[in-house]
Order: sequence, then C-alpha cells, then structure tokens
Amino acid sequence: MPTVVLMDVSLSMTRPVSLDGIEEFQRKNLAVHGLNMLFEHMASNYRLEFTALMAFSSLWELLVPFTRDYNALQEALSNLEDYDKTCLELALQGVSSVVQQEWGNGCPCQVVLVTDGSLGIGKGSLRHSLQTLKHRGDDKKFPLPYPFPTKMFILCIANAEELQMTDAMENLEELLRLSGGDGQIFTVDGPLCMKSVQAMFGMLIDRAYSPFHAVLHCGNLSSDVQVFPRPEPVVVDEEVEPIPRAVSTEVDEVGTGATDELEEEPSASQMAGKSPNFCVLLHGSLKVEGMVALVQLGPEWFGMLYSQADSKKKSNLMMSLFEPGSDPLPWLGKISHLGPVSEAAENPYGEDDSKSPFPVQPQVKRSYAQNVTVWIKASGLQTDVQKILRNARKLPDKTQTFYKELNRLRKAALAFGFWELLKGVAELLERECTMLPDSAHPDAAFQLSHAAHQLKLASSGDSQYAAFDHNIVPMHTDFSS
Amino acid sequence: MKMFSVAHKTVFVVDHCPYMAESSRQQVECDVLTKSRAQGVIPLAPVSKSLWTCAVECSMEYCRILFDVYPKDKLVNYIVSDSEFHILNTWRREDQSTHELMSALAAVGPPNPREDPECCSILHGLVAAVEALCKITELQHEKRTALMDTAERVANRGRIICLTNAKSDTHVRMLEDCIQETISEQNKLAAGSDRLMAIQQCDLVLVHIYPQGEETLVSDRPKKEISPLLTSEVHSVRAGRHLASKLNILVQQHFDLASTTITNIPMKEEQHANTSANYDVELLHHRDAHIEFFKSGDLHMAGTSTRENGVKETMTLKWCTPRTNSIELHYCTGAYRISPTDVNSRPSSCLTNFLLNGRSVLLEQPRKSGSKVISHMLSSHGGEIFLHVLNSNRSTLEDPPSISEGCGGRVTDYRITDFGEFMRDNRLTPVAESSHDPSGKLPVERAKGQLERYTRYWPMIISQTTIFNMQAVVPLANLIVKELLTEEDLLTCQKTIYNLVDMERKSDPLPISTVGSRGKGPKRDEQYRIMWNELETLVKTHAGATDRHQRVLDCIIACRSKPPEEEERKKRGRKREDREDRTEKNGSKEAEDKSWQESERLKGLLEKEDQESEVIKDSPDSPEPLIKKPRLISEDVQPPERAKGPATLLSMWTNRITVANSRKHQEFFGRASSVNSKFELYQHLKEENGIDTHENGKAAR
Repeated sequence: MPTVVLMDVSLSMTRPVSLDGIEEFQRKNLAVHGLNMLFEHMASNYRLEFTALMAFSSLWELLVPFTRDYNALQEALSNLEDYDKTCLELALQGVSSVVQQEWGNGCPCQVVLVTDGSLGIGKGSLRHSLQTLKHRGDDKKFPLPYPFPTKMFILCIANAEELQMTDAMENLEELLRLSGGDGQIFTVDGPLCMKSVQAMFGMLIDRAYSPFHAVLHCGNLSSDVQVFPRPEPVVVDEEVEPIPRAVSTEVDEVGTGATDELEEEPSASQMAGKSPNFCVLLHGSLKVEGMVALVQLGPEWFGMLYSQADSKKKSNLMMSLFEPGSDPLPWLGKISHLGPVSEAAENPYGEDDSKSPFPVQPQVKRSYAQNVTVWIKASGLQTDVQKILRNARKLPDKTQTFYKELNRLRKAALAFGFWELLKGVAELLERECTMLPDSAHPDAAFQLSHAAHQLKLASSGDSQYAAFDHNIVPMHTDFSS
Repeated sequence: MKMFSVAHKTVFVVDHCPYMAESSRQQVECDVLTKSRAQGVIPLAPVSKSLWTCAVECSMEYCRILFDVYPKDKLVNYIVSDSEFHILNTWRREDQSTHELMSALAAVGPPNPREDPECCSILHGLVAAVEALCKITELQHEKRTALMDTAERVANRGRIICLTNAKSDTHVRMLEDCIQETISEQNKLAAGSDRLMAIQQCDLVLVHIYPQGEETLVSDRPKKEISPLLTSEVHSVRAGRHLASKLNILVQQHFDLASTTITNIPMKEEQHANTSANYDVELLHHRDAHIEFFKSGDLHMAGTSTRENGVKETMTLKWCTPRTNSIELHYCTGAYRISPTDVNSRPSSCLTNFLLNGRSVLLEQPRKSGSKVISHMLSSHGGEIFLHVLNSNRSTLEDPPSISEGCGGRVTDYRITDFGEFMRDNRLTPVAESSHDPSGKLPVERAKGQLERYTRYWPMIISQTTIFNMQAVVPLANLIVKELLTEEDLLTCQKTIYNLVDMERKSDPLPISTVGSRGKGPKRDEQYRIMWNELETLVKTHAGATDRHQRVLDCIIACRSKPPEEEERKKRGRKREDREDRTEKNGSKEAEDKSWQESERLKGLLEKEDQESEVIKDSPDSPEPLIKKPRLISEDVQPPERAKGPATLLSMWTNRITVANSRKHQEFFGRASSVNSKFELYQHLKEENGIDTHENGKAAR
C-alpha cells in the first residue's frame, strides 16, 4: 500500500524544544528524526512499497514523488525549509490529486500526516474548514473522504495535554472520522524529546508498517515468506452482513490447476522468498509448467500462486487473493469440492494433458446461452413470426426447423397468455397454404394446415393441447408410393 | 448485526383478475410482408397484448436479468392472484429459473374475462406473499444451522413486487394496510415455528398498470415508511414498453446494477455479407464494475448518456478488435456477470456468441483528451460471460525483484522438472458434491492429505538425491506414496528392488552427484550404499501406512547390499540369499537366516566405524560433505529391523532420532553450499556455463 507523508513545514514547527537545557531542538528536527526512523525501517523491511513526501504550509509541494528509493526521501527531509502558516485543507486536496494521478482511485493508500497540532487560524485553518463543511457547494467540497480507501495516521509532535488545551485534538479526531475512520492519532507520551518521538514513530511502525511474515506449506515442504504489500483484512458484504476477515499467517498450498482458465483477481501481493528454498523450486516449476497453485489463506479464503514476470529476465512468485468465500471463481466450482486427480477413474486432464475438467459449467445456462424468447420489443416478435413463415415457404425441406421455431413461439405465447398471437399465426399459416405455388410439394400443404390446426387448439386453452411441455410434431405423411 | 438484505427474497404478485385480460391497446404488426409478395395479399390484423401478457413478460424479463447476474441466493417466488392465490414456485434453488416459471405460467393461462370480478382480488396473492416471505430459504437455513454464533444475525427481509390494476389511491392504501396487518399476524405465527421466520423488513413495490390511451387513476408515490416493518412505493405505468422500461429500471435499483453500452461492434450485414456496420449492445451488470467512474465523477463526463426518463444511465465503452491468439494475463481487479438488455436482438446474440466461443474483447474508455485507455474486458468462463475490470493506472506491483535475488535464489540444481511432474500428479479436479467419501473428508482435505504423503521425503535439489535421479527407482517411488497398495503394486515395488540388486551385482554406475567434490567421487560400492540408504529413508516414511508398505521396506532391508568386507561371503551365499528373499515366509530358513543376520550386523557396525574414521583421514579423495549425510543415516539403518513383525519401540525411537539427525545434517550441507566462499566460486563458474547443465546428471524419464 503506497504511503504519502505529509509534513507540516509551517513556522510553528520551528518552535524550540528544550531538552534538559543542554541542547535546543526545533519540533521540526524531532519530526525529521522520527520520519528518518520510519524510512530506515521501510528501507529494510518494506522496500517494495512506494512512498511520496509532501511538505505543506499555506501551499503544498510534492518534494519526492512515489518512490522505493528511501535515500531520496531522507535526503529531501534533510533539506526542508521553513514556510508560513498551516493550511491543511489545501494540502489534503493535494494528497488526493497526487495519489489519484499515480494510482487511480482503486488503490488503498496510507497518509501519514506529521504536524505539531497548531492547525492554523482564521480562513484556511482546519477549524474553519470543519465549521464550513456543511455550507459548501459541489465545487468546493472538503477533500475527505478520499475516493480511494484511506488509512490516515496523524502524528503530532506535541503531547496530548498540549493538544487538549485548544480544540486541536477535537478537530483532528473529526478529520480522522471524515477520512473514513481507519487510522489513528498518535501523540508524544511525556515531554518532547528524541526518545519520546522515537517511541511514537515506533508505535506507528507496529501499527501500520510491520512486515507480513508467513509460512507457505505444501505438505511437508515449507518456506518462510514475506508478503508485499501486506494483505489487509477484507470486509465481506454479500448476503452476510460485513464480517472482517484477516489472512492467516499459515498459508496452505492446496493443489494446482492449469493456468489458462484463471485471471488475476482482486488484490495481488508479491511474495519474496526469505528463507529456505521451496519458494524458488515452486516458482521455477510453476513457470516451466505454466501452472498456478491454489493457496488457502484462512477459513474459506483462497488465492493463487504463480510466476509473474515483468521482463524477460526477472520473475517472481506472486500471490493473488480471491474474494473470501467458498467459490470465489464460479468456473472452478466450490474449492472444498476440488479433489486429487488420482481419485478420478479417468484422468480428467487426459493422458497427454489435452483436456481439462475446467471450466465447470453452471447447472442452468444463462439467458444469452439459451434460445430465450423475449417479445418486449415488437421487432422480437416480428422476427420470430418471420422465421416461421420463411421456413414455411421451404417445406418440406425445412420441416425440422419449421416445427422447432413454431414450438418455440407456441411455448412463449402459452407462458405469456398470448393466445391471440397463436390464432394470428394460425391464420398466417392458413394463408400461406392457399398461396402455395403449383410446383410446391404436396407435403407442404399438409404440414401447414396441420400446424395451423394445432396452434388453434392450443389457443383454446384446452389442457390437452395447451400443455407447456407438449410439442407439435410434424404430421406423418408418406408420398413415396 | 443482521445478515441477508431485502434483495435475498423477492415475491412477484401478479394480478390474474378478469380486468387484466383487457387489451393494453399497444398493437404489434407481426405480418411484415416483403415487397415482392405484397400484391393482392391482405395483411393480418395487428395483434395486441393483454395487460396480463404485458405484466408477465416484463416480470419474466426482470427475472431473466436477475438470474443472469445473480445465479444463486437472490431468490424469486412467483404468485398469481384471482379468486384465490396460485404459488407457481418455491424458494428452493432448483425452482429458480425462468423456464420453471414460464412452464407454471402456461398452466395458469391468461385471466378468464368471464370470471366473477366480485370474487377476484389481488389481496389473496398479497397475503400469500407475506406468508411466503416468512418461509425460510435454504441459505437462511444453512446459515442458521451452520454458524451458531451468527444464528441470531440471520435476518428475514424481502420485497414484494405487485403488478396490478388498482382502482384508486384509496384502494392502494387499503392494500398497504392489509399487508401490514398480515405481517403482524404472520410474525406471531412465525415465532413458534422452525421453518418460519418473522419478517423484519418488507419493501412493497406496487406497479399499477393501465392501458395505453387511458388516464391513470392512481398516482405515483416515492418510497415511504408505512410502519417500521413495511415501506411502500407506487409506480403508475402504461402497459407495453413503458412497463418494460420501468421494470428494467427497478431490477437495476433493486440489485445494484449498472449499464454499459458496448459501441462500435463491427458486424456483418445480414443482407450484404461483404459489408459491415457498427452496432451497439447494452449490458447490465453489478455496478461495482463502474466503481472507478463513480468515484472519479467521470460518469457525468464523456461516455455517459442519460436516456428516457432521466433515471437510467449507461456507460459507453468502445469495442477494440481483438488480436488473435493472444493469451495475456491482465491485471484484473474484478469480474462481474452480465446480462444483455436486449437478449435476442441480433447484435446482442452476435456479441454473446462471439464471447461464448472463447474470444475476449478489450473495451476502451472514451476520454475527452483522446488518449486511449483500456478499462474493461469481456470474456466468458464456463458458459458465463463476465465483465472484467482492468487496472488502467500504475500498479504498486511493478518492477518486482527477481526471485533469484532472494534466499535460495542462487541454488541452481532444483528439481524443477520433477516438481512439475509432482504438481501434475497433484492437480485438482471438481468432485460432485453428492459423492461421499467413506473417510468423511472433503475432497480438498483429501487433496491436502495426498500432498502430505507425496512430500514426506522430497529432496529439493538434484545433488541431494540419488534415487530420484535413477530411472530404475521410478516405479517404486511413484507407488510408495499411495495411500493403499494393491498386491500388484507391491510386486512392482519388489521387482524394482530386485532390479536394483541386479544392477549392484553388475556394478552399473549410479548417478551420484559429484558437484563440489574433486576427483571421481565415492567408489561404486559406496555409491550403492548411499542409494540404498536413501531408498530406505523414502520407504520408511510410508512403512507405517499399511502392511504392504511395510513389506516393501522389509524387502529393501532384506535385499540391500552387505558391507564391503562381507563381499566375499556374500558372493558365496548369493544363491542361497536370493532363494531366501523369494521365500521370505519360510520359517525354518528364516530362523537360520536371523542368526546369520545378527552376526552380520555386528560386524557391519564395527566395520562402519572403521570406515568412518578412514574417510576422515583420507582427505584428498574423501567424499565431500554432501555424501557424508546419507551415510549418517546408514548407521542407524542397519539395525535389527530385519526381523519380521511390527516395529519395536527401540526401532521407532531410533528412526525418529535418525530422521531428526539427518535433517540437521542436511541443513549443514545447505549452509556449506551457499555460504562457503570456495563453493560459491565454483558455482559461479558453473553458472556461466549455463544453468541447465546441472540437470545432466539425471537420467531422462
């Protein structure tokens, strides 16, 4: 999950902090110290995540666009300059556009706001922004909540007591609530000093930047893995009221399936082999065979492992998570009902791998895969009637098609209670009968009048002739003698 | 916290009273005469649908779309009302198809205009609808019984869609009151039943249908709360296409659907096969497929249009002619089932058939700036078409490091091909839910069980194994992992072992890895000892499974080579030994054999120690650590297990220790091979020669 660090560089951040009277620091120095610690942590444990650095006062500036280069981020921190007053709303707007430009609005993002808790005065202050929240036009909406899923972490280079003296804490809580509520406000515990700020950033790291270690099992083979980005708990909302689900750290490989029927699904996470070698072996074989491995991440939560290459040289083991549930990909059927091929009487993949038991076909075909009859539009009805007439003129060659189309129309007319149509088509067939050319086969006349008669009987509603499952069969004629 | 929304249960109540037999007065010309035939023919008078026909076909269309997009767990119960109610289906899953409903509707037939209107009322149906909502569905039942902790969260909500011809607003109010009353009555009843549930929320959608050209007697009314349990809304609609578009809008609202119009679909003209024109096809699907547009507010910009009454919007996406034979794995963030709005129109069926035949279509999002952005893909899986959402932005997964940069990435002799074969053996296949396994285990559990058996002894790199590099061992290695062995399997295993004995006698070379060792590697008899040890390790992990597995192990122990100093004696006794192996069960010979074995064993152990120290002294030619490892196992492998009968506690214990020890030593090799600087240098050279050469030691299979 990418992170935007939003650093307050307003004048108030330069307020001095006395440390036992020995050395003088500015709040900014403490903040930079804390952020350096965060960046160092990420460089060693989270190096595949993207981070951007923004500074703000009354204006905002993107100092480092999204990068995995943590040196660049630390370098930018060391060159921070001091500016004027705090204007958070503009900066939050800036975060929104920077994130959406880079990742669109589907990618979850973490915002780390580092401030001293003096949130400006008058117009442009957070207080003012929040007070005017409800009196805004559509063009001047407050940027929160963001269109992308957000985790907002607010780190105050101030202690809670200090913030509660003003309404700063209240305003920050309101801000967190507006962002969607997923996040936390951190304050310095005790007097401001390097140590206490370190402790605060340490809490942020534990909360949001702890690496995700897991064990991948395949029978007795196993490997420790680290997953990037960290799989986040998912809230399921189908028939079931939202229940959050978290990925369990014991990942079970269930078995393998052929790749050609799978797409990458919801979120993809990357696994980097950390200790033994099973991952490398698995990756190599998946790549060579063009297969994917099914993994179980928790109760009724599955995903797949496969080799992903972004260039010819580099490839790695990727894990895609499916939506939690017992049958995340309908064309695989229920995962719990996937069994080993060895149990099957005949290898469903064929002896030469030419077949596949997938995709699993649904029991009932979708409407577009069956020949459904819809007469909502007049053209639908006209087409069906014309089809019958076209075939009627080619009797007896088209006897089968003629009766097939006739029965389809008959069924629909009976279901819709549209008896008038049955009578109408019967009349049309009788007319066709009278218009048959002399050259016509004698069977044509017999079939047409037979069909017309049967339709009329059906339109009477007589249960003997109007049964839905009954089909009009061609009249048996014999002109061979 | 509750489960199950109102969308779980929908009851259609359709008026079947005599006035519904009235004509909708919308006429359909179904006798379209072609010019050449027009002369002298009197065309058939246009037909017109009754109010009933209009109601039925529009409700069927609603169900068709619903079942296409949600094939399960969004259920419909269809009720028809005249002088009594007729319930056409149940909540059961097998009853949820338009075919079932059409069949039942055909049995009901159109309303009888001669029936006494005084006896007929929509009320019968509405009361039955409330009763139906109280009935528990299969899913509700499953959730209630499966999850005790969530049992109380299983809610019972539903929607009643009533298609009728009401007399007035007062009449509508009377119907609402009646439903409210029935709900309270039924809820009391439900409290005392297992198969019934009290209704917690009911949404009534009353659609008043009146013929074209008439004024409506009922006014439209937005959703309002009648009671905490009941909300009601009234739609007053003309029969015919107005009703059709109303129900189309309702199905979208009720099930969170959105519309996408695929534009610019090239299609051959029916009349002129050589020309093609561009067509549009509208599809409905879950609105999450548009989530990107909704969020960014793009929906009101390019590519969207508002139609008819301003309620319905569609997103336009442009067809991109697919490149042939391109199987690409796209970065897809979601897949949603679709249903064409106009299912049997020619453009729709052309598109759906194209997709059902296995082709995919990429869809382009029209942008004001003119830049091309592929945002969606249409593709089918197992006879169902899905609209796939593709990520069109930068991905956070870009530029991943190579797996070779990670741990174990520098090891180059992984058994890639063997593991590929292993994966093929462990592939999954759907098992019918009805098939019951005697073990009571789910198929997926059995698949995991198989993985466990197949991996009990599975060296990951070629230089760690001898037996898996030998074609001769394959039959046994493939069979021993099975849960059960047939008598024939056992025989095959034994044959494999005899074959190995034969190879040893002929001193056939073994594919022992010499990676990292200078010189020729171990001597021939030493090679066989390594091989036998490894084979024994493999079979031991399975010996406990069945008696036949154990007999395979017994056979190995009985046949495996004797320590070198016994070679002479072995030669002398070869014939006798062979005989013995084949007549293992022969008691008298066995007793004789045992004493012989005992002395053999003791000598063997003594000899072992000698050899061990000798190896260490003999530095230039000494085998490298890799080969030392299996020998460690052999120390314990020799023991008194030759005796028949179940394993003793001692042998089990020593086995355990052996396995534990061998693991530790294996790790030592791994460490040595990846960290030792000299070793590293050697591998580096190898790598330059190409990775594939490392598999050369392995016999082709």
